[in-house]
Amino acid sequence: MKSKERQQYLLSLAISVILALMVGALIMLATGHNPLEGYGALVKGAFGTRRAWGNTLYKSFQLCITGLATAIASSAGIFNVGGEGQMYLGALASCYLGARLTGVSPWLALPVCFLAAILSGAVYAWIPAVLKVKLKINEVITTILMNSIAIYFCSYMANGPLKTMERGVNTGTDAIDKLFRFNRLIPGSNLSETVFWIAGISLLVWYLMSATTTGYEMRLTGQNERFARFVGLKADRLGIAGMLISGAMCGALGMFECFALQNRFKPDFSSEFYFDGMLVAMIMRYKPFGIILMSFFFGALKMGATGMQSQTGISSELILIVQSIIIFFMAAEQGVVARLQLRKTRREPISKGG
Amino acid sequence: MSEIQHPPIVQFSHVSMQFPGVLANDDVTLDIRQGEVFALVGENGAGKSTLMNILYGLNTPTSGTVSVKGKPVDEFSPSAAIARGIGMVHQHFMLVPSFTVAQNIVLGDEPRKGLFYDFARTDQIVEELVREYGLKVNARDRVEDISVGLQQRVEILKTLHRGADVLILDEPTAVLTPQETDELFDVIRRIVREKAMTVIIITHKLYEVMAISDRVGVMRRGQLVGVSETKDVNERILASMMVGKDVLLEDLDRIDDHDDTTAIEVENLQVMDNRGLPAVRGLSLHVERGEVLGIAGVEGNGQSELIEAITGMRPIRGGTVRIQGKDIRGMTTGEIRALGLAHVPEDRLSTGVSAQSDITDNLIVGKEKLPQFSRGRIHLRKRSMRAYAQQLFDRYDIRGAGVDSLVGSLSGGNMQKVVLAREFSFDTPVLIISQPTRGVDIGAMDFIHRQIMEKRNASCAILLVSADLDELYRLSDRLVTIFEGRITGEFKPKEIGKQEISHYMTGGGREEQA
Repeated sequence: MKSKERQQYLLSLAISVILALMVGALIMLATGHNPLEGYGALVKGAFGTRRAWGNTLYKSFQLCITGLATAIASSAGIFNVGGEGQMYLGALASCYLGARLTGVSPWLALPVCFLAAILSGAVYAWIPAVLKVKLKINEVITTILMNSIAIYFCSYMANGPLKTMERGVNTGTDAIDKLFRFNRLIPGSNLSETVFWIAGISLLVWYLMSATTTGYEMRLTGQNERFARFVGLKADRLGIAGMLISGAMCGALGMFECFALQNRFKPDFSSEFYFDGMLVAMIMRYKPFGIILMSFFFGALKMGATGMQSQTGISSELILIVQSIIIFFMAAEQGVVARLQLRKTRREPISKGG
Repeated sequence: MSEIQHPPIVQFSHVSMQFPGVLANDDVTLDIRQGEVFALVGENGAGKSTLMNILYGLNTPTSGTVSVKGKPVDEFSPSAAIARGIGMVHQHFMLVPSFTVAQNIVLGDEPRKGLFYDFARTDQIVEELVREYGLKVNARDRVEDISVGLQQRVEILKTLHRGADVLILDEPTAVLTPQETDELFDVIRRIVREKAMTVIIITHKLYEVMAISDRVGVMRRGQLVGVSETKDVNERILASMMVGKDVLLEDLDRIDDHDDTTAIEVENLQVMDNRGLPAVRGLSLHVERGEVLGIAGVEGNGQSELIEAITGMRPIRGGTVRIQGKDIRGMTTGEIRALGLAHVPEDRLSTGVSAQSDITDNLIVGKEKLPQFSRGRIHLRKRSMRAYAQQLFDRYDIRGAGVDSLVGSLSGGNMQKVVLAREFSFDTPVLIISQPTRGVDIGAMDFIHRQIMEKRNASCAILLVSADLDELYRLSDRLVTIFEGRITGEFKPKEIGKQEISHYMTGGGREEQA
């Protein structure tokens, strides 16, 4: 039954994707472009050159870790919309240390920066988690609001107290020691050594969610908190733990972005990466394996869009439309399934010849 | 077929309903007569609700025809059914808690003054309805503040307001106290007698069939296996028709060598309800190993709060609770369970299971850190979990597609077996059991009773709360009555009749003890 459900889900996912791509094609036609050319350029933009490959892969890894960050908190029953803010704080904290620890061995400095990044992210996620668990304050609202606080705070720091004296840098903190930076794996692309870290973290979280007692207990807590408490699980702690891990992952990503690509903290280092990952997680219903797979599809779509725009003049926003349509179809499908299940349980339990 | 003056108001003719993988109704042909109370009985999953949902337009039959008042139904939708005069009160009420009684009744058909809602007229309409049908409710009370029995009355008034003359009640007494049940039956009799209504009542409880219905239909596995005048049958005949075998609850075997160790001790306990008002007021009781202490009471007299306090789901305000000799004040549910307590909660859907998880997950939880199920308390041994779940699944005769299917897809009785299987397999010396067979069919009920008795005979201390007196009498070694958060009497089941005990359940003859 489970595998049948999964098949059904994958089928509807495939249909949604195809339909969305068809709608994209229609829009291209309507705006006077050739869809084949458009999608051709998209594929080329994503995989045409080594550099494109590198960027696509990096984007995919980024979606993967943010998607899993959303998923682990959700599995424990808390919807973390605050990843962006957690990422900013992680980035700022690690970059500050990365500049301050100049001269220290990277073997010591990098772990310290990493620790700072994950701690800042985790602490910042802990606040809404405790508010949710103890006082039942809606986490969606608190995390969204806290995003703004964190982003503006970091932006202020980078423009004010922590602003670098370096010439030619308008905003941003002092540069991170060269020895601490991550090397690019494909020159000219965003793909750097950080992907090994990201892959490691992602695998760890995947393992945690799907094969450990903690993941199992978190899942039950997320599905029915009262039940979890009733059977003696520490529901509050599990919910908070999910958020802490989620925040730590976001903080880590903030560090990776800056240490590999920016070389310092810059307030514009993220273009709302977290929300892209969140969408992937939602589409894949917070299932870790699905998120890992789907990240690569959306990564390609995202990077290909830029290539498509420069090659054919089709606005890259078109891909946003395609993406939204996929989400739209999947949400509708989920709604229908949920409805049917509800009816089934409420109805006379027809199934098992009683 | 002698009563020609009563033409059938509803006719099902060869109605079948095929759901994916399940034939829920199998060639059902049935006439409901104008002005009768028709009881539809059958085990969980027999197809009763499916059939009534067809009449109410929620399901479209796969084949066959339905006629209402002589006209074949061509459009199956609730709104069309309402227009034909069909009203249905579901098991789970569909009321807006924050609205008043009157506002709920007129919902969807509100009186207006110009563009605006006419509040005064609303109350007036409802007061007229109340007068006409003699169903007493207070139009201005908020639904969230009134009892379940009154809420049900509001549901009935809602259907009457919409002009229903055929009223379907889906297990109306499942949530009612005995007294509320009596009141409901009075209402049914009145609307049938004075307003010539037709009432179809879906139920599990055979004595209710005998008490209220004119005719009765029995369903089994989607088929209508018999229709009869109620006066021509008795409970035993109905029960054997329902289950296809004779299971009318015989006495259970008791082994009496209980060891007198007190396992549950409650002294002068005080607990608040959700609104912060005292619900348990200085209650004391004790349960020894190897006995079942039954708590009899009208619902809402503090039973739920008592159980929640003992199991750690609700804070203790005053007094003490000792489980296995340890004071549990301030302990979490997990810590209390670790003392050797397992709990079958009254509300299985919201508390007893995780409906969106599969059966395996629901059966294992609480044991996942045992070496049998995880390496180093971390890495799950999924194969071993599944095998263990399969064992319980078979032993407790859970009827479902398999241990991988979602608990939410199970019927009430089977869901309850999942709860029981999990809680009983902890093998704890103390069991707290609330409403073990609510909404459960007779076959499953007997099974559950036997499991409880087996635990008792294995010298568990069992505290049992039930709204079903028959159940309490069948299982308990001692009975206490609870009223307004206090114990009002203690009895041996053999020494007191059901009539007399209900006197204590409603506050008569207070003598603090137990």
